[in-house]
Amino acid sequence: MSTLAEVCDINSTQCCQQLFTQIKYLQFDALSKKLASIMNLISGIKLYIEKMCTESGPGMKIILLDKETTSIISMAFSQSDMLQREVYLFERLDSGRSNERLKYLKCIVFIRPTKQNIQLLANELRNPKYSSYFIYFSNIIPRTDIKYLAECDESESVREVKELYADYLCVNPNLFSINMPNCMTNLNWLPDALTRSVQGITAVLLSLKLNPVIRYRAGSQVAQLLAKLIYDQTTKESSLFDFRGNVDGAAPPLLLLLDRRDDPVTPLLHQWSYQAMVHELLNIRNNRVDLSERPNVPKEFKELVLSGDQDEFYGSNMYANYGEIGSTIKQLMEEFQRKANDHKKVESIADMKNFIDSYPQFKKMSGTVQKHLCVMGELSSISNKRNLFEVSELEQEIACKAEHSAQLQRIKKLIADERVNVDDAIKLVALYALRYERHANCDTSGLLQIIKTRGGNTQIVPALIEYAGMHVRQGDLFNMVRITDAVKLTRILIKGLKGVENVFTQHTPLLKETLDDVFKGRELEPVYPAINSELVPYRRPPQEVVVFIIGGATYEEALTVHQLNNAGYRVILGGTTIHNSQSFINEVLAATSGTQFKHTKSMLKYCSPDNI
Amino acid sequence: MSGNPFDSADEEPSASSDEILEGFLCPICRADLKSIDFLTQHFARQHAEEEDALKSVFKDIFTKAKKKILNNFEDERNRAVPPAATPSASATNAAGPNGAKASNARTQLNVYNNMFKQSAGAERSHFEYFQTVRNPRLERYASETNKLIIRLHRLLKDLPTDAVQRKQHEQLTVPWLDGSSVKLCPNCAKSFHIARRQHHCRLCGGIMCHDCSRFLQLENAMQLASLSTTRGEPLQQMQHQEYRAIRLCQHCLRLLDTRQDMHESRTCRPLMSQVYEEIRQLQKQVTPDLDMYLKIVNSLHEGESIFTIADSGALRGKIGQVAEKIDLRSKRILTIHSEPGSRDEALKKAIRLSCVQAIKERMLSLPPLPDEAYIRRIQERKRMETEQRILTEQRMAMEAYERNGSAAQSGVSLENRSFAQGSDLQSLNNWSAPQASATMSSVDDPLIEQINIIKGYIKQARQDLNFDVVETLELNLRELQREVYERQRQSSNSATTPQLDS
Repeated sequence: MSTLAEVCDINSTQCCQQLFTQIKYLQFDALSKKLASIMNLISGIKLYIEKMCTESGPGMKIILLDKETTSIISMAFSQSDMLQREVYLFERLDSGRSNERLKYLKCIVFIRPTKQNIQLLANELRNPKYSSYFIYFSNIIPRTDIKYLAECDESESVREVKELYADYLCVNPNLFSINMPNCMTNLNWLPDALTRSVQGITAVLLSLKLNPVIRYRAGSQVAQLLAKLIYDQTTKESSLFDFRGNVDGAAPPLLLLLDRRDDPVTPLLHQWSYQAMVHELLNIRNNRVDLSERPNVPKEFKELVLSGDQDEFYGSNMYANYGEIGSTIKQLMEEFQRKANDHKKVESIADMKNFIDSYPQFKKMSGTVQKHLCVMGELSSISNKRNLFEVSELEQEIACKAEHSAQLQRIKKLIADERVNVDDAIKLVALYALRYERHANCDTSGLLQIIKTRGGNTQIVPALIEYAGMHVRQGDLFNMVRITDAVKLTRILIKGLKGVENVFTQHTPLLKETLDDVFKGRELEPVYPAINSELVPYRRPPQEVVVFIIGGATYEEALTVHQLNNAGYRVILGGTTIHNSQSFINEVLAATSGTQFKHTKSMLKYCSPDNI
Repeated sequence: MSGNPFDSADEEPSASSDEILEGFLCPICRADLKSIDFLTQHFARQHAEEEDALKSVFKDIFTKAKKKILNNFEDERNRAVPPAATPSASATNAAGPNGAKASNARTQLNVYNNMFKQSAGAERSHFEYFQTVRNPRLERYASETNKLIIRLHRLLKDLPTDAVQRKQHEQLTVPWLDGSSVKLCPNCAKSFHIARRQHHCRLCGGIMCHDCSRFLQLENAMQLASLSTTRGEPLQQMQHQEYRAIRLCQHCLRLLDTRQDMHESRTCRPLMSQVYEEIRQLQKQVTPDLDMYLKIVNSLHEGESIFTIADSGALRGKIGQVAEKIDLRSKRILTIHSEPGSRDEALKKAIRLSCVQAIKERMLSLPPLPDEAYIRRIQERKRMETEQRILTEQRMAMEAYERNGSAAQSGVSLENRSFAQGSDLQSLNNWSAPQASATMSSVDDPLIEQINIIKGYIKQARQDLNFDVVETLELNLRELQREVYERQRQSSNSATTPQLDS
């Protein structure tokens, strides 16, 4: 590959021509790998937005957004980034607007193609406030809507009408969300969430130029329906999805639609990697952390932006675990202090000059250090207060090892402990209930009784079993393997022999195993059938994989995907939302509301919320 | 009549006759053809055999008109798209394996670059369809509006001040509809009677009641009809408010308003945008300087001797000046008056903020210059390294020679050595001092003359802070010097060899 890299600097036509033939016939495999490695969601969105800014030409600009596109842009660009691209004003199409006319401004419109937006935009065009309009829709728009808008543009102010598929929130370079915290009701799709999911996934595929094989979790109604709708979309807009690459013999990319209910454990566990932990304890919303409720937080850190793209420290440390972060911050602090001391002794003019020269970097760095110090302080105080080390250790034990009686005793002891938060206690019981649902001596009722006396919401546990109990799940969430399955048995044995490196991070999400199967080219057919089987290659692993989890992904799974990407595989993870345990429990409660509880008769008395 | 695309089509043919006609007129038979399409068809069918000259006149008129219809937007777009955008566009087109066969080397290179950078995702433009829906409608509006403006022009041209005469004049230009059979106002459906009398739109002759009438101020009307307001001065003297305006129906007024609006949005260039354009201009100018500065600093750190410290200092000063200018202008924008709390004000603040940011991040945070002693040290070290390398090269060459020595002739060794010395950078650097006397003696050598000229150029370019030129010239100079050096050595060699022979 080094030859390829070198060639980038060479201008001669001849050389390129030579290289081209070489690439085409000899190095295709290597090349396609290199090509495939470019799957970065954040730069995908950035390129789209940059396109809007350049296409509209030079001059002062305003950008007109709706609620969702505002968050989409804010995940990829900071305000100062937009200022440098001559976009000076931001305005929401869907909220109270002034009637001020600024005829010397160009207007970039970036909105989702919803009925309401079209109507609002039509009104705007009938009475234009700006000199010219460059209209970009974030998804596929019906022709009738275009016609309607064209009829409204009486003053000829529209200069461009385009679809640019930036219709998802890019959280990390390989993690996206579509911000639907609840996607199910009555254990089936909420219609809005379904359409939004189809649009979001279509946009991801189009912005990365993928025309994938679509596989879904067999037996999951929601996954099957979603797969069908996405497939319909790709066939209906086949000209859009006509990307080269598949013809050249490389295996086509894979879109894998999973169901959160196959792995209800991961979102319940306490996390120790930085990003996941911040989300679990402080809640990240659109890359922003709200600390205004916390005492002792300095005023300038009431709302923090955590973006790996804009904050170098966060970018390189968001997957590091709590301990590592601590020491990194310490190092950073020392360096910072050293620099601060340097700056203190400004004696000569030369010192002064030095200070001025390095001041911007100095200021930037001090801001970063203080911000993360503040976040870490909050994390550590919460962890200590809620006795999280002990709780998390037990959580991991339940998730990874089957020792019923010993674990039951420890749970009983811990959940009765007043130092342990009731919510954490409920999560422990929920994990127990999931793990030992069919165990002969299962004592979920007994544990729920303790929760009840502590005043916790016991309804969560039966709801969770209804949502993701044994009757729903497929696959081996808890590694309950029969002796006959020799391959899996040896895998588990090897795992066991290696021992545990860290008691707090023993658990690996089910997604890792699934993706391992995918990349090793194992047979996916009975569990993950393909809806467009004509594209399926014979026993060849795909180069790129997009995974979408209905019911929300987690940052722990994002970490798994990140590790796979580091290992050279190309995976992107998405979900209807990014869950922490609290939001997951809320989703479970919303999804099971209105259903008959059939599988939790023994817990009947804890089911109704009035029983608390 | 600016902003009135059809005027040129209308006026030119009618210039020969006294009567003013309106509509889509055939320039030859002067029939009104109602629309562009009919007119073109008519012309193609009826006057196909007419003289070429006429045809070209006609064509000219229409291309002009068309250009105006499509308005200056196209040019603006062309200007807007920076040249950098073109290769990337062609690269995406050529991204396919077939497209890469394009003969253009630049395109091809971009294909390869694209392989390593993520390219923008899929997109689909609906603008073409949008235009096919919008443009016929716009054309219809435009022709209607133009008709109104022509009428307005005639109406205002010699508008009598006397009320009775005025009414006569108005009726003469635009025939009023006969109101005897109209019982209700067509707009609000209220019946006409003594208190609610019939009124006529002065532009289309239509009927409406007073409540449904709209009024266009004469000053505005003059502007719309592109008549100078000075000619309308007697009009100012009219006492009645009503007489200083023209009665119009809603429809006509709306058409005129839209036209005025479009005109305004195309020509609107307040002080703020002018100052802003200056700022952008400055920012654009300073970008190559910034790159150059970084390049110079790098080159200094590398120990190269193309640029001097004074160069970079001067450039830094220049950048600082530009930064100051930008700062000044953005402050000026802030002082432009606007309503407090308005978006105008927000805009000004945002512009100022972005200027401050740009200055801080790009212009003031430039890496500091290395000091002179440090640079001399680096240069010294680099010279040592090259010397070392040359020595080892020479040794290797000698060894190689000795290995094959028996077969080779003695002349080869001489050549070998001279070749090694030819690639000697260090000797080039030191060349100028010992050769100085030689150049003095042989000024008539064209190469040396060239060298002196280039030196002069370099000096000039340095003064103008044009460092791109300095760089290329310096490199040229070195090549020339090397050439001269080679030649001189060869001549001295050839001078010595015969001596040996003899």
